[in-house]
Amino acid sequence: MENNKRVLVIDDEAHIRRVIELKFKNQGYHVITATNGEEGLDLIKSQQPDVVITDIMMPKLDGRALCERANELKEERPFLTIVMTCRISPTEKDWISQLQDTVFVEKPFSLQTILKCVDHYFGNQE
Amino acid sequence: MIDFGQSKDFLSSLSQVSHLNFQIWDADEGMVFSSGPDELPEPAPEELQDFSLRIISSAAFQHIPLESGEGLFGVPLRNGQAVAGSLIAFGSNSLQKSLPETSTAPQPGRAEEMERFLNQVAEFVEDRLTIQQEMEQMAEELTENFEQLCFYSKIASRVKSIRFSGSMLQELVEELLDTMRTDIAFAKLPKRPEYNALVCTQKVPEKISDHDDFIDALIDSIPLNSPSLEEDYFIVNDSRTTPGFSDLAPEPYRFLAVKMKHNGNFYGWMGLVSFNFEEIFRRSELRLLDSMAEQIAVVITNSDLYRDLERFVINMVKSLVFAIEAKDDYTRGHSERVCKYSLLMAERLGFDEERKKILQWSSILHDSGKIGIPESILNKPWRLKDEEYQIIKNHPMKGHTILEPLEQLASSLPGMLHHHERFDGTGYPQGLKGKKIPLEARIIAVADTFDAITSSRAYRPAKAPEEALEEIEKVAGTQLDPDLVQVFKEVFTRDLAPELGCSPEKQS
Repeated sequence: MENNKRVLVIDDEAHIRRVIELKFKNQGYHVITATNGEEGLDLIKSQQPDVVITDIMMPKLDGRALCERANELKEERPFLTIVMTCRISPTEKDWISQLQDTVFVEKPFSLQTILKCVDHYFGNQE
Repeated sequence: MIDFGQSKDFLSSLSQVSHLNFQIWDADEGMVFSSGPDELPEPAPEELQDFSLRIISSAAFQHIPLESGEGLFGVPLRNGQAVAGSLIAFGSNSLQKSLPETSTAPQPGRAEEMERFLNQVAEFVEDRLTIQQEMEQMAEELTENFEQLCFYSKIASRVKSIRFSGSMLQELVEELLDTMRTDIAFAKLPKRPEYNALVCTQKVPEKISDHDDFIDALIDSIPLNSPSLEEDYFIVNDSRTTPGFSDLAPEPYRFLAVKMKHNGNFYGWMGLVSFNFEEIFRRSELRLLDSMAEQIAVVITNSDLYRDLERFVINMVKSLVFAIEAKDDYTRGHSERVCKYSLLMAERLGFDEERKKILQWSSILHDSGKIGIPESILNKPWRLKDEEYQIIKNHPMKGHTILEPLEQLASSLPGMLHHHERFDGTGYPQGLKGKKIPLEARIIAVADTFDAITSSRAYRPAKAPEEALEEIEKVAGTQLDPDLVQVFKEVFTRDLAPELGCSPEKQS
């Protein structure tokens, strides 16, 4: 099943990028990847993804800064952001809840959960 | 160092079917692979090393024409973004000799061809490397998850036990330390310090002399208004930047603790401390720790419930026994004292908990058959007639008949049924002799006799404990098991004498 939705995966860990990429490709999504926040932000601007799945702890531009910049872009073109982290920080949920169309996922995650979350988002849109 | 090993076979084969030799140079290690003959007349090793350095520093294709052959070609090898080495190719001299003269002459456009070709080979080598690294990383991740899964299944099987014990927590904390790769793992239960458990590695700074105090200080410093407490955990990712935690240890540390809590009952904290800042506490670890703490809290809750229930049952039975004893002015408290003496002897004999429990039930219930004996006989102040004595002698059998339907008491019945057997075989109800009399019954017999002598009866006054002990020693071997009389004597000297010596109520 082919669909024209574009998913951007931003994580500095290759194996994380790989598993998410595989899962979404198998579901017919178009997947692009970035290895740090800066590269990710450039791709958000140039490739206009429908979903951004990003880590928090990354070189160059961290996940929080990336999400906040992405949030400004969402005023013109809304898209879903999934933030994942393995770090335990009690304040993370607070800033994430302030952002538009942004959800929090614990690492390690269930790919099924992420996929459902994305499907749900598109389901609501249509 | 980066392992380009996977591509070595490929390059060797490529070298055999082409007229090219290949070499891989690592930026730090020097040459790590060569497809060519071991001894080369040309180019010299120094020349190749310089060439590799040139490629690495320029991060681009390089070409040096040589007098013989076509010269040296090289492209950088990348590991991710960074240049990690070089891939060098040059004409194979041995092969050249067998080739026609014309093919050895430098050709225009050759360098561009070689650049394209080498870039493709480099890409192939890099891809294999990347895949290799990803695979290793995934395998590592998988191993870790597997460890945690194993750990979890171990906990799951262990917490199935209804009874909670301190050693169970100690073992779990030890496994926690291994699985989570931290420096201290602990469980602290303020109201049950006997269950406290703490283990640590050698990496804990020597300056922390008392680990328990350190952990107590950490727990005491948890701010009560921390938002994470709503989720029953608390974390210090870096003690240097966490107010209130920077002065508790001479070296910076990380700290993670979760509450052991179930159904609103808070039992204590379980947690980890690490002095290693190359790792962080992960969400997966928090989740594992949290579910472990929850499971333990469930076991403690269940264990408490079980104990409450058990206590309720035994108290209920005691009440019933009191009700029976109330018929007889002289034996009030008798069963409970016999129970106490019996358990002291069991302790001395090294009984396990299970067997003590059996003895506890037999001894507290040993006279329950007296419920069927008329008060007129029980309280008779003079010697009993034969038929009255027969009725009295029937009480162990009666007790047995009454309690037989209670299957939970089945193992306690022999001790009760045979407590009036005599060691010489002349007792009742069955006239069992010596060691054929169940051990529990022989113990109760000693305790029963001692308490009977030290209590007043309708037909005689109470005797002093020391006197009673002498009387018991006189019947050792005839009425009572001499070994157990000896055991009782030890119990008497150690536990009972101080207590009974100053207790005049027995005399009344």
